Amino acid sequence: MSNIVILGAGVAGHTAAAYLQKGLNKNNHKITVISPTPTYQWIPSNIWVGVGRMTPEQIKFDLRPLYKKWGIEFIQAKAQSFYPEGDDQIKTGFVEVEYTNEEHKGVKRKVAYDYLINATGPKLNFEATEGLLPGNGNIASVCTFGHASHAWELFQEKLDKMKNGEKQIFVIGTGHPTATCQGAAFEYILNVDFEIKKRGLEKQAEVIWITNEYELGDFGMGGAFIPKGGFISNTKLFAESYFVERNITWIKRAGVKKLDDHKIYYENLDGEYLEQAYDFAMLIPGFAGHGFKGYDKAGNDISEKLFAPSGLMRVDADYTPKPFEQWSIKDWPETYQNPSYPNIFAPGIAFAPPHSISKPMTSKNGTPIFASAPRTGMPSGIMGKVTADNIIHWIKTGNATMIHKASMGRMGAACIVSAGYGMSKGTAATMTVSPVVPDWEKFPDWGRDIKTTMGEPGLAGHWLKWLMHYMFLYKAKGLPFWWMIPE
Amino acid sequence: MENRLIITKYSEQFYPPTPNNFTLFLRRSIFFQLIRFFILNYKIMKIVIKGHS
Repeated sequence: MSNIVILGAGVAGHTAAAYLQKGLNKNNHKITVISPTPTYQWIPSNIWVGVGRMTPEQIKFDLRPLYKKWGIEFIQAKAQSFYPEGDDQIKTGFVEVEYTNEEHKGVKRKVAYDYLINATGPKLNFEATEGLLPGNGNIASVCTFGHASHAWELFQEKLDKMKNGEKQIFVIGTGHPTATCQGAAFEYILNVDFEIKKRGLEKQAEVIWITNEYELGDFGMGGAFIPKGGFISNTKLFAESYFVERNITWIKRAGVKKLDDHKIYYENLDGEYLEQAYDFAMLIPGFAGHGFKGYDKAGNDISEKLFAPSGLMRVDADYTPKPFEQWSIKDWPETYQNPSYPNIFAPGIAFAPPHSISKPMTSKNGTPIFASAPRTGMPSGIMGKVTADNIIHWIKTGNATMIHKASMGRMGAACIVSAGYGMSKGTAATMTVSPVVPDWEKFPDWGRDIKTTMGEPGLAGHWLKWLMHYMFLYKAKGLPFWWMIPE
Repeated sequence: MENRLIITKYSEQFYPPTPNNFTLFLRRSIFFQLIRFFILNYKIMKIVIKGHS
């Protein structure tokens, strides 16, 4: 009998749990999911909650009945420490967790495992930017359904003010010099702008994009080249065109350092310290690891063996420091397996990337200002599935060779960038890139396969995003033939 | 589009391309977008299948 423990029930963790229960005989193996909340949320739809087009209930569901049906034990707790060698009492590896439910809040427990999947995602590091906490004055976030729900309340207040003739400044983008997830902020600013115009309030609104990207359209993946209209153009042009069409202005190469109730303080790559007034801000925070600790059998701290300095988990990536010009897709992990403890995996955002995808930039004052590497839903889901497939293969055959691989340097990704909700008036840009990390050796001209990389705005994009919302929630709920829907 | 004239000349916002009325019509046309919907689905599936192989 094997004992598999999954930390986290987001896209990577829940996908791994789903395929493990499907692929293993539950009478012979035990699967446990540990997560601080019993809720699954379809994060890409948070932006629609943030503009009041969906309610939190439409994008989330309770995992407990599903896990009961699947024979998976669910523990509502947060992980704290990893003991991959066990201790005097427990011979296998274990994790120490702390309950977060009302009944046992604060109680600690050791959970033993044979295989551990760390899919804890990122810590939303709001504290790294002074004054950025959502709910603080005029600051919103769409990182969770709770944040997005508050963003909608704040947005309504601003809409009411504009209806009364008050001018309002909306600043949306990245809230830390090395933040990622520009795509989500990009979607949110377009949706906010769409809702303002839908109400005829554009004369009262100034909408501004603030970003740590070197150029617009970088999205943390170094931008992309797209064939369109007889040209092959960069996503810089695509993003700028989108903004100009909507009269949205932008501030780029900006590392946000601090916010108060009415001003954003930032440094740019030229080393200038500047300010931007605002009435509503939604800025994506920096991501970090959760500050987990690791200990060996004798109780010595082995956190450095398990985690990179960012706090994210070390996996089969090449972490050798090297200049941007020498970066290769070979640096990127394929199996998300920890090199020191092969029975520990970290799919999704929990793994430490070898480096960013965009070129690191530093201001004249030495402040790093650039987009960190994104890991969106589709790659996270694929990583979760590949991890489950490898563990199933290992358990069934006893062969520890990782036969399933999913490198971001080989897999493609599709992303639908919503720019307004509505079945006849809505719009979204459908984007695909292949691979996610540019492979300049295989594709020396454009870094990616130009035949499969595309970006197309239009109403059809909204239909696709709407369809995907329901399709992926159907899959996550484990409804009949869920496994036929790809990640 | 209707606001383009208020963009300050020689600012960054002055230079990017903007869609003309025909492009905007195509982006909003239910009939045209229905065709694009199936084409986009096909293109996404190609990426998805590659990602899972």
